Amino acid sequence: MQLMVEARNLRKTYKRPDGSTIEAVKGVDLEIRQGEIFSLLGPNGAGKTTTISMISGLVEPTGGDATIGGYSITKEPMAAKRLMGFVPQEIALYPELSARQNLAFFGRMYGLGGKELSRRVDELLEFVDLSDRQNDRIDTFSGGMKRRINLAAGLLNSPPLIYMDEPTVGIDPQSRRRILDTVKLLREEQGMTVLYTTHLMEEAQELSDRVGIMDHGEIIAIGTQTELTQQVGEEDRLEFIIGAQEFEESLAEGIQQETAGVTRILYNPPEQVSDDSSESTPSRLTVFAKRGRTALPQLIQNLDAAGVEIQSVAVREPDLEAVFLALTGRALRD
Amino acid sequence: MRSILTIILNDLKIFFSQRANLPGLLIIPVLLTLVIGWSLGQIGGGGPTRLRVDLIDLDQTSMSAKLIEDLRSANDAIVLCPLDNDAEDFCRLREEPLQLERAIERARTGRTSALIVIPAGFAAALEEFEIFSVDYYSLSDPMQPGPVLQSLNAVLQRASTASMTTGVAAALLTNLTAAFELPPLETETLDGFLGALYLRSQEMLTEQPAPVRFRVADAESASEDGSMNGFNQSAPGMGSLYVMFTVLGGMAVLLRERSQWTLQRLMALPLSRAQILGAKIGVYFSLGMIQYFIVFAVGAALGMDFGSSPAALLAVMAAFVLCITALTFALAPWIKSEGQARGLVLLLSLSLAPLGGAWWPLEIVPEFMQTLGHLSPVAWAMDGFHDLIWYNGGFIDVLPEIGVLISASVVLFAIGIRRFKYE
Repeated sequence: MQLMVEARNLRKTYKRPDGSTIEAVKGVDLEIRQGEIFSLLGPNGAGKTTTISMISGLVEPTGGDATIGGYSITKEPMAAKRLMGFVPQEIALYPELSARQNLAFFGRMYGLGGKELSRRVDELLEFVDLSDRQNDRIDTFSGGMKRRINLAAGLLNSPPLIYMDEPTVGIDPQSRRRILDTVKLLREEQGMTVLYTTHLMEEAQELSDRVGIMDHGEIIAIGTQTELTQQVGEEDRLEFIIGAQEFEESLAEGIQQETAGVTRILYNPPEQVSDDSSESTPSRLTVFAKRGRTALPQLIQNLDAAGVEIQSVAVREPDLEAVFLALTGRALRD
Repeated sequence: MRSILTIILNDLKIFFSQRANLPGLLIIPVLLTLVIGWSLGQIGGGGPTRLRVDLIDLDQTSMSAKLIEDLRSANDAIVLCPLDNDAEDFCRLREEPLQLERAIERARTGRTSALIVIPAGFAAALEEFEIFSVDYYSLSDPMQPGPVLQSLNAVLQRASTASMTTGVAAALLTNLTAAFELPPLETETLDGFLGALYLRSQEMLTEQPAPVRFRVADAESASEDGSMNGFNQSAPGMGSLYVMFTVLGGMAVLLRERSQWTLQRLMALPLSRAQILGAKIGVYFSLGMIQYFIVFAVGAALGMDFGSSPAALLAVMAAFVLCITALTFALAPWIKSEGQARGLVLLLSLSLAPLGGAWWPLEIVPEFMQTLGHLSPVAWAMDGFHDLIWYNGGFIDVLPEIGVLISASVVLFAIGIRRFKYE
């Protein structure tokens, strides 16, 4: 299948005020095929937005290059940008203008005009189901409605490729569902290629043909969901929330040896939610085990015998969260 | 180009859709222009404090020199060109000789308040108590003589009176010597006596208190209502002050555009950085010009003078707005919050505007303050406006001011464009 996006060794280094540098993206290689939904999954700060910003021509890469439909984003940015739509994480709209005025302005920027522009704006207002609010100012809209107009503004030029950077951040479940359905429609009905970034595993699982997992500025795994989950084998994940107590490595080793099917135990101690908060995350114990449900009774018994206070337990089958955990030793939400 | 215009129009639409912007753009500058214009008009502070007068002395005698000296002392606001020209070329002669033809043209176009030509034979005519005439060229109404003509009349009257005194004395001596059959006085002795008498008469007339005290507020350029002059100062001054408020306010808007990501969305469109930057510069340049037009329209409605060169006036306005736009873009990358931007706008506008003579003419402040004032772009703009409005200057007269403002713009844009934050 033809490639729509190809990135080679993309790097971005920022200078801090104190003169030191921080490498936000460390040599990303990426291939996105025409007509697929590709998700970049990773925790906040992983480098997803910087990567998508470089591919969209918004941020100049420190090194490397990317091509969109064969056009280099650094050498032929105009041609490359004509092939893409961009839906940023922020509501990149003029709050003082109405929904229609916003769409008309960005449409003019794509060279649309007259009846063609008016027709396209009508179509998109219909598509995001906001025709009845088209003349209201954006600053009177709810978060979900703003997100939908934000999405519509990225579709004005009917691009073959659309970038969506965390488009469901901060909205209610109903609006989120509507956006996810819209993304699927764009691919199914219009054959669009979608590059979608998210830190929510569920979204990546629901939408994506292929997923790239990012952490600390690097893509640490890439493939279909099946390919990725195979990387962690067929182990189930048993997630225990335990009381605040010391959990030594030797104890983990002991339980692993004594419990049939357990292959690995990860312990995440409690962490303060933020610098100015006294709240902290609970202690978490993640146990990887073949046939997790069978191993569970023995495991509970052994933990109890070791004096570990179990507050809750959940059994999860292999998923992208497990892949991330297996690769980084941290949960996505961390 | 179409994209640039679309962005400019869109940003202007947003600016005008915000009611909070209207008082600063329309109401306050108009009110201040009116109040300050009327106030300056009433106290006579709205016009030039120096009167540019060309003088051509075709006689070149001690008597013509005495006339010139008397003219200077009759009214210290008069600057006789080229005799009293200063290092800053107040006479606007640009090191070219002042020929009669050029001087007449300068008076005819209002660049000088008047031209005075002392004819050859002036001294001889005075000595012989003959009729003589001094040519006076001016646009002012001879029925309402201004300070230059009044001063000239006063010193000529003094010279004529002294001349008459010596004439009468000479006639008296001739009659007396004839009546008493005395031997006639030797010519040398008579001339010496009459010369001394002429000078003594002049001295005595000079020592007399002047019957009229000349004040610049009564300059011939003043209209019937003294307050009109005030708008010649207040409209350009308040216009320049509010251009600063409006255009420098762009620092906060540029910051907001980055934080609300509309600038980044423009970056993701098929537009070059130059197009985006050009459009943003165009927005603030347009707003600055609109601000000037609003204030000048008020001035025009109240009878403000615009000089005789609208193109030059437009060029000074454009150069100043460009300079302030460049200052906005040079400072914008360093601004961290909208509050900081607002504080800086107030600080810069309220310091650079009075320093540069936006509230009162720089000519009335001490010389060191005039020099210091020219650190402000407002001073260069106001110099240009004064040249055009007060002295009826042309494009060439304001080229130095435009040059300084454009040069400053180039330097500031070089800083601003290099550091402009698109992300």
